[in-house]
Amino acid sequence: MMPAFVWLILVLVLAAPLVYLGGHVGRLRQLVANATSVEWETDPPNHLSQWLALGALAVAWIPFTLAARASDAAFALGTLALRFDGIALLLSALALGLGTLVAIFSGAYLRGEKQTEKFFALLLVMVGVMIGLGAARDLFNLWVWFEALAVASYMLVAFQRDERASLEAGVKYLVQSAAGSVMILLGIALVLAQAGTLDLEELGARLVTADSNLLFAALALFVIGFGVKAALVPLHTWLPDAHAHAPSGISAMLSGVVIEAGLIAMLRVMLPLIPHLQGQGNRVAVLFLVFGAINLLAGNLLALRQTEVKRLLAFSSVAQVGYIVFGLGITFWSGQGVGAQGAFFHLLNHGLMKGLAFLAAGALLFALRAGLPRHAPLTISDLAGAARRYPVIAFAFSIALLGLGGLPPLAGFMSKWQIFVAGVDAGNIWIDVLVVFAALNSVLSLAYYAPLVNAMYRGNVSPLVARGTPVPRAMVVPLVVLAVGVVVVGVAPNVLDWLTQPASAALLHSLGY
Amino acid sequence: MNLSPLDTAIFLVLGLFGVGFYALLIVRHLIKLVIALQILVKAAVVALAAAGAASGKLELGASLALSVIVVDTVVAVVALALALQVRKHFGTLDVSELGTLRG
Repeated sequence: MMPAFVWLILVLVLAAPLVYLGGHVGRLRQLVANATSVEWETDPPNHLSQWLALGALAVAWIPFTLAARASDAAFALGTLALRFDGIALLLSALALGLGTLVAIFSGAYLRGEKQTEKFFALLLVMVGVMIGLGAARDLFNLWVWFEALAVASYMLVAFQRDERASLEAGVKYLVQSAAGSVMILLGIALVLAQAGTLDLEELGARLVTADSNLLFAALALFVIGFGVKAALVPLHTWLPDAHAHAPSGISAMLSGVVIEAGLIAMLRVMLPLIPHLQGQGNRVAVLFLVFGAINLLAGNLLALRQTEVKRLLAFSSVAQVGYIVFGLGITFWSGQGVGAQGAFFHLLNHGLMKGLAFLAAGALLFALRAGLPRHAPLTISDLAGAARRYPVIAFAFSIALLGLGGLPPLAGFMSKWQIFVAGVDAGNIWIDVLVVFAALNSVLSLAYYAPLVNAMYRGNVSPLVARGTPVPRAMVVPLVVLAVGVVVVGVAPNVLDWLTQPASAALLHSLGY
Repeated sequence: MNLSPLDTAIFLVLGLFGVGFYALLIVRHLIKLVIALQILVKAAVVALAAAGAASGKLELGASLALSVIVVDTVVAVVALALALQVRKHFGTLDVSELGTLRG
């Protein structure tokens, strides 16, 4: 009897080829029906693959609910070892939730693009392997899941493949990410040479006699390798291109879940090593705290200069990753779960808020693209007065932006607050200084979120907005769902405890506290 | 000078990694970029096989090395597919002509 979470992965991964074939069947039927009358310039509208993908995602919620109730299921088949613990639950909830909304959103958004069945098939693969990644129990398995996720991401980033910027972003992402993968493999080789096993749960016992300098080298390789994927600052240069030039639904997935998946993978591989560093454990905490602070500052300063909406949101992701890394660093320092719980809480909130922000930006891009050249980026001044014509989208977008900036009744404030409280409780003067620094950065970030809101609500209606087309309801519904989510989490942060508490418990368990 | 097999493997890993990484930094041609990545990954393949031997898990190391080759082939195929699209739409394989690299 396979545990429910294995079905969850299987449903999504096995449905992907069906979705792809379904798209072909639909296109063939339409081609036959129209063969005599119309010559298609682009592909005919193709809904079958979207409906199949939505069906698969809907079915996947059944094993997800079952898996969420059963705690700590494990599964092993040959060398494939999986364990669905709190961290895996957190990642799969975020991936599946956001993935479903993106699938609803993207059908209308991709109108006019070629071969949308590839998009939906790859989206399913992306969600499926991400759940596998969260549940991987073996270091090498984890790497393979990660490569599968990365390959799906490369293709989705370069989806608009007649577009120079998308292809450039895809190439850049692929080269940097593949180089990062090699670093991870070298780290795995070092661990294997020391321990003779790659099972993350056995590693702890086997590493007792290991050379702590070699372990620290392996750890450094993991930080660099996964740092590329999680966009830690000197390694973030692929992110703004990839996130800005992917289709908006994929930008939402990349920013909302994929970079967080990189962070979770980094945590997973580092946790068994940290207790064996013989007094150097605090160095890891310092590394995380400093990386967090650098990410915050660099992300915010770079975002300040941006004029393109999606590029600005991409840089703000760099800054938001800083808060998550910072929260984890606090837990490594103090051994208290509060920091990690805040970090996981912020990870979820960032997924909601950044997903909402990218989808809202995508909806506006869709509405205004009649007046723009094909695949042209949306700038802040284009949005002037958008709230008059698109009140719901502008309102949802504003909620996302103000939430990211950390305004009190919204989700982002709650998680940042939890991280800051944990930082002050750690009782170290330098961490206190960093908390103040992070709080000031939150204010700094409003300097680029607020002008966006301001432009939408107070600017004169720009000619682009005046010529804008109406937005289909299928694109507005996911925005409303996410906006309600951001507000509810902000007002009642306890609603997500069922995800964040098991995750931080799992983290502390792996650390051996 | 007598080198043990492990020392040889370590030198090989460092050499392949150095060559691959250097090539990755200086090469501007997309196909050559894919080759550079391949060289880089070969360093990891040797490292895994050697690590398996060093820890007495020879089969484990070898099977990991083989899996890396498979996964890496997939990445190379996707990279070449991207190169093909670049060539098809823009008539060049030079990365620096593809666009201005922005920070």
